[in-house]
Amino acid sequence: MKKLTYFPGCSAHGTSEEFDSTLKLVLKTLDVELEDIPDWNCCGATSAHVMTENLAYALPLRNLVLAEKLENTTMGIACASCYQRMKVTKVKMDGNPELAKRINTTVVEEGTYEGKVDVKSMLQYAYEDIGLEIIKSKVTKPLTGLKVACYYGCLLTRPKEITKFDSPEYPVSMDQICEALGATATEFDYKTECCGASFSISNTEVVENLSGQILAMAKESGAHAIVVACPLCQSNLDMRQPDIEKLQGVKYDIPIFYFTQLMALAFGYPIEQLKFPKHIVPVEGALANIGKVEPVPEKVKKPIKAVEAESEVK
Amino acid sequence: MITLGSQGKNTFLEAVNKKSGANVLECYQCGKCVSTCPVSQYMDFPPREIMQMIKLGLKNESYMANSHWFCLTCSACSGRCPREIDIPAVMEAVRHLAIDENYINDSKKVKEIRKFHEIFLSMIKRYGRNYELRMMAEFNIRTRNLFKDMHLAPKALLKGKIPLGVKPLKSAKAIKRMYEVAEKLEKNK
Repeated sequence: MKKLTYFPGCSAHGTSEEFDSTLKLVLKTLDVELEDIPDWNCCGATSAHVMTENLAYALPLRNLVLAEKLENTTMGIACASCYQRMKVTKVKMDGNPELAKRINTTVVEEGTYEGKVDVKSMLQYAYEDIGLEIIKSKVTKPLTGLKVACYYGCLLTRPKEITKFDSPEYPVSMDQICEALGATATEFDYKTECCGASFSISNTEVVENLSGQILAMAKESGAHAIVVACPLCQSNLDMRQPDIEKLQGVKYDIPIFYFTQLMALAFGYPIEQLKFPKHIVPVEGALANIGKVEPVPEKVKKPIKAVEAESEVK
Repeated sequence: MITLGSQGKNTFLEAVNKKSGANVLECYQCGKCVSTCPVSQYMDFPPREIMQMIKLGLKNESYMANSHWFCLTCSACSGRCPREIDIPAVMEAVRHLAIDENYINDSKKVKEIRKFHEIFLSMIKRYGRNYELRMMAEFNIRTRNLFKDMHLAPKALLKGKIPLGVKPLKSAKAIKRMYEVAEKLEKNK
């Protein structure tokens, strides 16, 4: 039994409750026990760092200090935005003792920051600490036939100096997890484009434009669904999808899954436990592809290496 | 007119470099940031131009531009910058300096973006956590746009997508104290 300190983030009790609950199902199967940070607070998300430097570090620092009181040395974070704020704060505090000392004055009652706890996104934890082999071994209902576009957004792999995980341009960790579940990951060029993030409320037209491009590219890649690991990406792509469709005059009908929902599905959890009714875009159409075997396409692409070899001969 | 500050020094450039930890002078104006930026089309001046404006010491113009308010800190630009400049940190430095020095951009969009962030921070101050429904309601009230997103509300509420309440922090006092200390730190800079 592995243990992991858990930071759910505000949206886990709100817009992304299905992420939180399916994550818990998945980790139960994978034999990981979560320990919540007692009395955790909001990380400040996009707003704190926009307005003020000190608060932007102080809010995550309180959680880091509280997490150090627990035994585990790794903190897993569900929300991508929380993950980034926590990780940025950790990297800055570790690299700049003077700054750490100054910001620590805001949380003296909680304790002194020592830098003992490592911060990981749940995607990173699943990929690095659990691994594809173990994930594959737990699959009882393979998602064969389901084509997914894995969308990472900006925060999980960027900036690379902070996250030190996967590629900032064309990450593959989620693709590989989905393939381990039996699904097919499509070649999707907009993996790390921004969805408009926190402009969801204050600048909706920007979100509709950016998320619209992501939906269009996912559709073009041949995906039945988009898979995400960020609550803000999910709500922008799912909740705003009907408006985007109206705006562009196109029908997408692409459901947006959390990767944990697909994991739980492949691990054999009953569909009632996966919170699909919370989705705005219905999921049934995409899930109907599971089990369907596609005919092998007639034109088989030439492998790139063979072409190179030919040109060398010339 | 270009003012280079006292004794011909570009004090604005120095302030931005110090605050951001980047060196804006390293920018050689290739424009990769502009073509990468998902929101450059909405900006008064795209990132490349802001970098040049800082080099020229155009403080007023940089502060008053909406560019730093539109930056989403997605870090796509800095990841592709051949000079490896932390452009989002530069944008943030300009924004923080503009806030500190009370420069207010009056355009409707910037006012709304700023109001959203202020309401978000007030939610954390009050509850220690974000209260999504209240935040959206307050945003609509304070931007005098009562019916914004109302067509999404019935579905979102019925499906439990947006919960009605929030579980406040037990030690909400700790957050209030944190805000007070952070405000003092901000003043004593």
